[in-house]
Amino acid sequence: MTGTRTLGLLGKKLGMTQIFHTDGNCIPVTVIQAGPCKVLAVKMATAAEHPEGHNKATVNLGKKRGKVARPKAADGYYAIQLGFDARPARTISQAELGNYKKAGLDHGMRFVREFRLDTKPTQKPGDDVTVAALDGVKFVDVTGVTKGRGWAGTIKRYGFSRQPTSHGNSLNHRTGGGLGRQHSISSGVPKGKRMAGHYGVEQVTMQRLEVVKVDGDRNLIYVRGAVPGHVNGYLTLKKTVKNERKVEFKPGLIVRAAAQKAAAKGGKK
Amino acid sequence: MNRLLQQLESEHLKPSVPDFGIGDTVDVHYLIKEGDKERVQLFSGIVISFQGAGPRRSATVRRLVAGEGVERTFPLHSPRVADIQVKERGLVRRAKLFYLRGREGKATRLDPNMGAKQFPRSTKASKAGKAK
Repeated sequence: MTGTRTLGLLGKKLGMTQIFHTDGNCIPVTVIQAGPCKVLAVKMATAAEHPEGHNKATVNLGKKRGKVARPKAADGYYAIQLGFDARPARTISQAELGNYKKAGLDHGMRFVREFRLDTKPTQKPGDDVTVAALDGVKFVDVTGVTKGRGWAGTIKRYGFSRQPTSHGNSLNHRTGGGLGRQHSISSGVPKGKRMAGHYGVEQVTMQRLEVVKVDGDRNLIYVRGAVPGHVNGYLTLKKTVKNERKVEFKPGLIVRAAAQKAAAKGGKK
Repeated sequence: MNRLLQQLESEHLKPSVPDFGIGDTVDVHYLIKEGDKERVQLFSGIVISFQGAGPRRSATVRRLVAGEGVERTFPLHSPRVADIQVKERGLVRRAKLFYLRGREGKATRLDPNMGAKQFPRSTKASKAGKAK
């Protein structure tokens, strides 16, 4: 709840490739189409904070009394609702389309997420948010939905070990092993025992991925390493909640520092 | 692959990569760092395999050092691969020459003419050679 919550971005995974660093090192990267996103709604802690032009709400009071404009109520918290990837108006309900119309759109968005903020947002509905929102951010947390594995066994799902292929073992090569105890006061299968079951299609956040390159013109972000989900899957990018000050691991530098320390110690002795 | 990603990959290519093929004997000029200095290390051998596409393309080069087979894989678009020079062309019928691993001495030679049989290989270099 400290002052760390900032606006992130919505995006789409384009796929993985590798790029070369100037020193010749090869960096595995995931290319993410991050934006342009549209601000669909802004949530304000108090009613008075809603910006001019967005501080009225229309309420339908039925046939007799018709539609009445009222001051917008307080949301009780600060947040920005972002939309990404246009979706034709014919594919969404009129009620939903009303929300998009408030942001000046005549179509919907395929991916809509809300970002909680600590301070009052300056953006208004209808504003565009581009990769510039992550300016100066070195590390991001990327949230996505993992690939579905269907019904998976314990080896794939929980990383259990395989059993021997021979030495008398029969028909128990990839089975999960024992489930519990018998003939004891604490017999039975323990609660939460890990077994085979559905795996994948779950929300996963990869924390502290290095931003290798930002392409402002095309709204692309190159992130070191893999991100959850399949190609063309939707992603949420945020400034990392982990320690960003921790500099990248540079073996050369660290070794030299250690050597200097050792030399200093040796000198004192 | 995503078209945009394909385009991005093409932007990360080297302007030109020397033209060589499977079976060719090549000299790979590889930049290595020694302290603060950079120098070129030569690795010469037979190209036995290509892998990947775009900036991810790499070639495996095999040579014999003191009777022991040594193979190195070079990412062709790496800035550390300074140059690749073809010393000798070799005509082969396979895309991967892994069969050379099981051979020693004279058996590792590749016939530059494939016996009497000649079959065209449409490489830029061969075309340039014909023009001359």
